[in-house]
Amino acid sequence: MPANGSRPWSPIPALAEDAAEKVRITYEKLPFVLDAEQAIQAGAVLVHQAHGSNVLLDKTFVWGEVEQDFKDSPRHLSLRVKWGRSATVRVHHDVDVGGSYGVKRGIKHTVLCGYLTRRLGFPVRLIEDRLENMRGGDAHGPERLFDVDVAFDDTGIVRSMKMRALENVGAYAGRSPFQLGKPIGAIVGPYKIKSVQYRAMAVVTNKTTQEAVRGFGQGPTNLALERTIDEVANALGLDRLEIRRRNMIRREEFPYTIPSGTTYDSGDYHTVIDKVLANTSYEELKKERDRLRADGKLAGIGIAACLEPSGGNATFEALLNPAITTSTFMDSCRINVDGLGTITASMHTTSSGQGHETLLGTVIGEVLQVDPDSIRVTRPDSLNSLPSGTPVGSRMAIMLGGAAFHAAHKLKAKLTAIGAHDLGIPPERAVYKDGTVSERDAPQNKRAWGDLVQIAFRNYHRMPDGLEPGLAVSHVMQVPTGGTLPTADGRVQMYPCFSFEFHLVLLAIDPDLGTPEILRYRVGHDCGTVINPKIVRGMTMGGIAHGIGAALYEEFAYDGEGQLMAQSFMDYLLPSSREVPAVEIIQHVTPSPNTVLGQKGSGESGYLGAPAAVANAVNDALKPLGVSINTLPLKLSKLGDLIAEARAKKGN
Amino acid sequence: MKLDIGGEETFEVPIEALWSALNDPAVLKKCIPGCKDMIPEGGDRFKLILNLKVASVGGSFEGEISLADKQPPAQCNVAVSGSGTLGHGSGSATFALNAQNGGTSMRYSGEGEIGGLVAGVGQRILKGVAKHLVKQFFTSLRREVTAASPAPP
Repeated sequence: MPANGSRPWSPIPALAEDAAEKVRITYEKLPFVLDAEQAIQAGAVLVHQAHGSNVLLDKTFVWGEVEQDFKDSPRHLSLRVKWGRSATVRVHHDVDVGGSYGVKRGIKHTVLCGYLTRRLGFPVRLIEDRLENMRGGDAHGPERLFDVDVAFDDTGIVRSMKMRALENVGAYAGRSPFQLGKPIGAIVGPYKIKSVQYRAMAVVTNKTTQEAVRGFGQGPTNLALERTIDEVANALGLDRLEIRRRNMIRREEFPYTIPSGTTYDSGDYHTVIDKVLANTSYEELKKERDRLRADGKLAGIGIAACLEPSGGNATFEALLNPAITTSTFMDSCRINVDGLGTITASMHTTSSGQGHETLLGTVIGEVLQVDPDSIRVTRPDSLNSLPSGTPVGSRMAIMLGGAAFHAAHKLKAKLTAIGAHDLGIPPERAVYKDGTVSERDAPQNKRAWGDLVQIAFRNYHRMPDGLEPGLAVSHVMQVPTGGTLPTADGRVQMYPCFSFEFHLVLLAIDPDLGTPEILRYRVGHDCGTVINPKIVRGMTMGGIAHGIGAALYEEFAYDGEGQLMAQSFMDYLLPSSREVPAVEIIQHVTPSPNTVLGQKGSGESGYLGAPAAVANAVNDALKPLGVSINTLPLKLSKLGDLIAEARAKKGN
Repeated sequence: MKLDIGGEETFEVPIEALWSALNDPAVLKKCIPGCKDMIPEGGDRFKLILNLKVASVGGSFEGEISLADKQPPAQCNVAVSGSGTLGHGSGSATFALNAQNGGTSMRYSGEGEIGGLVAGVGQRILKGVAKHLVKQFFTSLRREVTAASPAPP
């Protein structure tokens, strides 16, 4: 306590914790519900009596002639897939960790700090310890049960899909139900499925409130879709890669509009697959798997092809809740050249180490033809910022990069106008190059960077009419393809860009122990024009490690009494360098027509496909035993039991 | 989380001696691991103050212990509940005593439910800890009853 004892707070957390221990609580045990399927039963325990039901959202969309397409298709298949409650667990707290990964959007933290600040009259910040974060903070992500029905023909062409997604939201409406909305923008993945019925259900239970996690619900949906495509191939006895090639949108079909109303910007899926298979052919990989099987291992090949919607226009909010009429999701950049000629650019949304400084330096350096290292970049202040969204939805290369591009062009135009005017020539006869403005037909007539700065800052008499003194420009960018609200029948353009990833995995499971080991991991990735290869590579690599965690290890497990069993890293298993293999990343570039440089987003790359690829590999490995598993995480304990049971049945 | 305990112990003292020891707060206070105090609250109910250390987490625990359905000297139910810095818990167990060759055998079984901090971070070791505490209880109890009533020659 401070010496004067006047402040009602403790500057030492441990002291406050000791004080909290003096509080004696008598618990009255109330009924509870943990399982989403139980929570929607009639007579279920109600988490919030006043709401009258545990259902927060139950909305069914029908895009196209679903019933007719099912009737017309000779084959149908049903599958149940479950995505376990996992997260983006942050090992470090408030440092540049490479991203905010969704979880940093925890709404209650902002509300709590704001409330306490007003109440106490001084700034308050909240730093959770590990236990607080794991059990009551912003760590828990989607927990989603899918029931998928597909209609297809004998050649494996999938014509229609019905998908029900049942989300266990936890105790309060956090970032779900909206996490059920984003996947609508890529509900058919890279495939030409003609019609879709999608039922999105969000249900409250007595678990921890769900927050956003990397991909905002797209990863679970990609898992359900990719598991289904594998099972369609298995049902027909067709090759899983071949069936994907047959169903995929072809390069010449872009821009391609999917049933839910979104138009995919560009893609070349077949070429990405070919590039991934260029070094080691698919046939050789199958031989390698079969050799492992002959040696007594359970070995499988995992394939996943999926999309990463990027650019984030948040239209799904209006789609799920018509009271929301937001049709922009802007981002901004300001560039200021000071009186000595140094360029300072500013971003206007928070950064967590995604490389936004590098992005601004690179884009502005490119447009102004100056060394990116000479450009200073500043971070925002909430009282001093231009209109901005957030770095969600893999949008900063598109939106901050786009705003920087436009601002830099405004600056370049102003510099060119100043130079042309001072040279006494019309602007169209002036050429801007490497920071110098010269006369196109007489390059010796020029004004260098220093001259232009001198005029703008000190020689107003040499400025063209109508220009402001100084060299300050800004640009507030509207999100490409944004600006519309959903139609009455629930169709809408969601996100401007669609990156593509194709995963190919070889995995072996020890048949006695049940331990999975990833032996080969190769991924083809196309996020359009790459602005910084190292950043894209880092995002993809980190995303794959994250996805391996969701597939095999990470789970906020509860016991039957509602006790959270994983509150520390002793029980919540993160993949380490032991579990994450070397990954070969093969980059392909199909520029987007919707962005300034052809770039697409890549902040969710890897994570959106790795769980599906690993789950498909595990199921391919289990196939000789005649069993399958569709509940993530595919923990060693579950695999071991499943394998032992299957072997006992087979009698070996 | 749920926790089951159960087992059988033998004592080289007559059944009556064991029964009276189990009903003597002074003996129980010495035998219950970490017990700081047992304050009578009337009938067979006692306020219990414990100081326990489980793995790296230590804390104080305040609760209540009560004996019920006594059938001297053969059977008794024990109910415990409480909360403290480690979390909260409750449980009940049944003790059945049987005279056996001049000594006594005791069968016990029960279940408990534990919540809060200790259940969240210590669940991997809780079963082991519970076993250890039960063993400690019986070791102390055996010492107490044997000292009070020397084994028959």
